[in-house]
Amino acid sequence: MTDVMGTSNAISYTPQIMANQMISNINASESEQATWEEQLSTGNVINQPSDNPAGAAELLQLNANLSRAQQYTANANDGAGWLSLGNSTMNSIISTLQQAQQAVESVSGATLSSTPSALQALADQVASARTQLINLGNTTYGGQAIFAGTGNVSAAYDQNGNYLGGGSAPTRTVAPGVRVAVGLTGEQVFGSGPTGLLGSDGVLAQIASDLQTGTSASLANVEGPDLQALSSAIAQVSAQAAQMGANYQQVQAFATQASNSQQVLQTQMSQMDSTNVAQVTTQLTESQQAFEAALWATSQLSQDSLVQFLG
Amino acid sequence: MGDLALNIAASGLNAQQTAMDTISENLTNANTPGYVSESAVLEPEIGGDVLGVGDGVLVTGVVQNADQLLATNAQQTQGALSQSTALQQILQGAQSVLPEPSSSGIGADLSSFWQAWDAVNQNPSDPAARTQVVDQAQNLVADFQNASQQLSALQTNAANQVTTAVGSVNTQLAQVASLNVQIGATQGSGTPANSLVDQQNAIITKLASSIGAVAVPQGNGTTNIVVGGVTLVQGSWSDTVAATGGAGNMALVAHTSGATLPTSSGSVAGELAAVNQYLPGYQSQLDATANALATTVNTQLAQGYTATSTPGSEFPLFEGSGAAGLSVNSAIVTNPQLIAASSTSAQPDATNDGGNAQAMAELYNSPTGPDAQYQSLIEGLGSQVQAVNNQVQSQTSVANAAQQNLQAVEGVNTNDQMVQMLTYQQAYQASAKLVSTVDTMMQALIAAT
Repeated sequence: MTDVMGTSNAISYTPQIMANQMISNINASESEQATWEEQLSTGNVINQPSDNPAGAAELLQLNANLSRAQQYTANANDGAGWLSLGNSTMNSIISTLQQAQQAVESVSGATLSSTPSALQALADQVASARTQLINLGNTTYGGQAIFAGTGNVSAAYDQNGNYLGGGSAPTRTVAPGVRVAVGLTGEQVFGSGPTGLLGSDGVLAQIASDLQTGTSASLANVEGPDLQALSSAIAQVSAQAAQMGANYQQVQAFATQASNSQQVLQTQMSQMDSTNVAQVTTQLTESQQAFEAALWATSQLSQDSLVQFLG
Repeated sequence: MGDLALNIAASGLNAQQTAMDTISENLTNANTPGYVSESAVLEPEIGGDVLGVGDGVLVTGVVQNADQLLATNAQQTQGALSQSTALQQILQGAQSVLPEPSSSGIGADLSSFWQAWDAVNQNPSDPAARTQVVDQAQNLVADFQNASQQLSALQTNAANQVTTAVGSVNTQLAQVASLNVQIGATQGSGTPANSLVDQQNAIITKLASSIGAVAVPQGNGTTNIVVGGVTLVQGSWSDTVAATGGAGNMALVAHTSGATLPTSSGSVAGELAAVNQYLPGYQSQLDATANALATTVNTQLAQGYTATSTPGSEFPLFEGSGAAGLSVNSAIVTNPQLIAASSTSAQPDATNDGGNAQAMAELYNSPTGPDAQYQSLIEGLGSQVQAVNNQVQSQTSVANAAQQNLQAVEGVNTNDQMVQMLTYQQAYQASAKLVSTVDTMMQALIAAT
């Protein structure tokens, strides 16, 4: 029931009604003000689950995803450290092998049958290449031997070139379900057992011993099967080095991907949860004005009464 | 002639005086809760002389401007509002136990926990990385225990509130019954019991707002009190109620009939809902989250091996169950090397293999894992708090409107009272003037004779 002025004429307004209305208006605009102030001071729209239940749950999930993406980046960076050291070590291994190969080839043929002392010197050179390779095989990254696979040993090889490490290479998770090997086992690089490249019956040991023996038969061995075995060992190491290089590139690509997805997640989270400062400031000002108006109206409450005019 | 006129004027003076008394009573009680405004009922007095002039004015009574329908409506809407408000306070308490989204809540700590496993994989033989896993696990256990304790405390507080309310309810029920006796006696003697009724109304409003009591007025001026069909006050008789049961089945029971009160309104109803339904629900979801953590982690560990090739099934990380009962295996706390981080039992591979730890880290978004459970807990809790917030908001306006409608009829409108005061004042002045005029007339008559 409303009159032409649009005001309800059903209700007679007693001072108690007015007072109750004022109180509830003041409370309403004060709590609205508090909401805006919370959003401004925290910078977040969702400050408790009830602000946006589905949003709060999604933020939890996004936060978990973000932590995971950060971990992928950390994993990839750690992997890149391993692989970078691995790559340079592999290059050193290859050049050491090639130097030995060239040395043996350069003294082949006529020169090879020269003096025993020259043969001895060559044999020493090959033997020291083997020692050098054993040292390179024992390269460590943060205390872990990079060619020891997942075996916990301070060195992948002992002094005699015996492999002490494990049979599988360590991996890092760089994306959901994607694991990249960050090392090689010594067996993958040098072959296994005594006949492996570094072993006591390996090709380098064989060449050194054949050179020392110095007979025409043993020298023929050096020129024939020994050099052949050496060059196939070099090919094997090179292939593994190429694999390692590929892993390095993969890890770096995934590191980039993980940091991109971090950015996407952060953008998504801030779109969901960040306070629109301009908007909220305006709304805060509005509700402050409403609050002041409500306070002013309350201060007028007792004045607008017939009692005032009756003196 | 002068006699009758003076008598009539005197009845006017008396009547206006009484009417002024009601105005005075109304104005002084303008802010008294439960007060119902009064009006004097004036009627012309029959009688007088043969010509048919009346015998003046008579106050036949002072009536209360009561409206039972509006009063009941106001009490019921207030009861519904009290219920939501009580529930709102408890649920907001529960929400603040699990402050999400946050950088220090269970959600963030779960993320740190999963991250620690990848750190183990980066250097499986490094004790520091394994200790980090143990630290994060202990952190989570503390989180769960803390949240569980706080929820239990809320539960205890809510149950105490019910018990405290029961004490006041019993006093109020007895008061209503004793007022029934007084009202009956007063009205029986022919006097209106207005101020006793006002007192009773104020108490009934409190009962409506605490246990959703409904007032059933009887013909003789007394009022019965009923809650969900169970009569608690009938005339001079009143029952008492008691809180029985604990979490899950707490209820109010009427002493005499032994009937359970079907509380559906009032603050006690909100508190009972929290004690029986909401808080146990959160507690069990929190337990489910803790159990999901233990199961997920221990199951994955069982697929791995320690550095010395012992199967991981021998060294679960979490022991116990439920948010309050969860603990970290003390053997692992003492020796973190017992964490089955390796995916192989072969030696020497197992000594520095972190394959199982790697697999563990990926369980952060397992659909049966703790993260998923926790997210649904937070979403459910948030929705319920949001719902009760909205309920409180809408019921506040409903209750305010009902209160306004009631006040408009029963309350004291000071402007209105002032106008009436002026009217009565003028009528009083007129009657007084009449007395002096009759007096002048009589003197004129006496002087002339």
